[in-house]
Amino acid sequence: MNFAFHGKRISGLLAIAPANESSFLDEMKNFDFPVNRSLKLKEVMGYDKHRLVQEGICVSDLAVYGMEYLFNRGVLDRDRIDALILVTQSPDHLMPPTSSIIQGRLNLQHDMFCVDINQGCAGFIVGLIEAFLLLEQPAIRQVVLVNADVLSRKTSPRDRNSYPLVGDAASITVVERSDDDCAIYANLKMDGTRREALMIPAGGMRMPATAATAVLQDVGDKNLRAKDHLCMDGSAVFNFVQVEVPPMIETLLAAAGVSMQSVDWFLFHQPNRFMLHKLADRMSIPYAKMPSNVVEQFGNSSGVTIPMVIASNLAARMLGEQFCACFAGFGVGLTWGSMLLSLGNMNFCELIDYPNESLQ
Amino acid sequence: MEHIYAQLAEILELEQLTADVVLAECEYWDSLTVLSIIAMLGASYGVHLTATEVRGMTSAGDLVAAVQHRREQ
Repeated sequence: MNFAFHGKRISGLLAIAPANESSFLDEMKNFDFPVNRSLKLKEVMGYDKHRLVQEGICVSDLAVYGMEYLFNRGVLDRDRIDALILVTQSPDHLMPPTSSIIQGRLNLQHDMFCVDINQGCAGFIVGLIEAFLLLEQPAIRQVVLVNADVLSRKTSPRDRNSYPLVGDAASITVVERSDDDCAIYANLKMDGTRREALMIPAGGMRMPATAATAVLQDVGDKNLRAKDHLCMDGSAVFNFVQVEVPPMIETLLAAAGVSMQSVDWFLFHQPNRFMLHKLADRMSIPYAKMPSNVVEQFGNSSGVTIPMVIASNLAARMLGEQFCACFAGFGVGLTWGSMLLSLGNMNFCELIDYPNESLQ
Repeated sequence: MEHIYAQLAEILELEQLTADVVLAECEYWDSLTVLSIIAMLGASYGVHLTATEVRGMTSAGDLVAAVQHRREQ
């Protein structure tokens, strides 16, 4: 499905990563695999360090910390936020919405729209589409899009399939109207028949969390995980990405009338370095135009990875320059989405740490 | 292409590899090996096979023949 928007822009972006860092080399002992095989995995996938929240830290903690940082810096006004969109798959509670928790903790105005969206690796694209749709309303002049996940808390440390790549993070993206009428193009596709490729089986109404769903099990591949944990069919996801993403980007660029060569940056979701290099190969995109270094430094933080790739590679350039950027996100649902837009001249673009709790 | 068997042997963690070796009978014929082979073939030979294609190969010789065939296209 194609979308087009006019007169809108991303005016600021902040990424928040927990200061707490874990390393693949330290975690290898938790996996039931020979060390040389784990080292090979590290080399092929580009695993190294990742940022994980300390025990008990929730999505709203990361979001509130980041919002207060922006208020204190004077780049965001708490009384001018007309809508708060939170995209997460690891909410603080089943109810109330975590966007309401963030609104309440920050004492934001009542005259606003708060909504949670359950989306994962395509969550930045889905969130931006929602933000642009809301900005069509005269009453809504500024939307704050928060992407945040603490999925390490739902991932088994003894699952070599998922644990080495998972990262926790949040991002705050401010979306506003713009005098520049330059069009923003987007393309989104969904296939719910493949919904089980990425899932957390227990914890909802279909399979409530119990003592039994917390028991670690080996399902035959030497990885130990419980029904409460994230379960990913890695091969199915890899195939899905390689098959669906390149034609989606072609469709997007064709709708926009833009050639592959005139795109300055391909800022894609960051599942691992290997998958990004294979995508770049397939589309004949130089690796230099598609940064793939987020997983090795921070981990894969689901819908936060596109803001992370921007804030960790291009923060300074986003302030004074303007680029033709192509975003793509792909994952749970399954959902795959992409966006072509003019990106830059932001009021702020930064990556900060969420500090560790002192152990006193 | 003369090193391809040595490269595949290294990925499969075998001393040596000959054309008649059945891939599924190798100790380390798993998803990580398949991805490592895809990465190696892309980097060394500019050949891009999918995971499904690599998994569908019976012997090491079949795999090498498929790579040769792709390079000639």
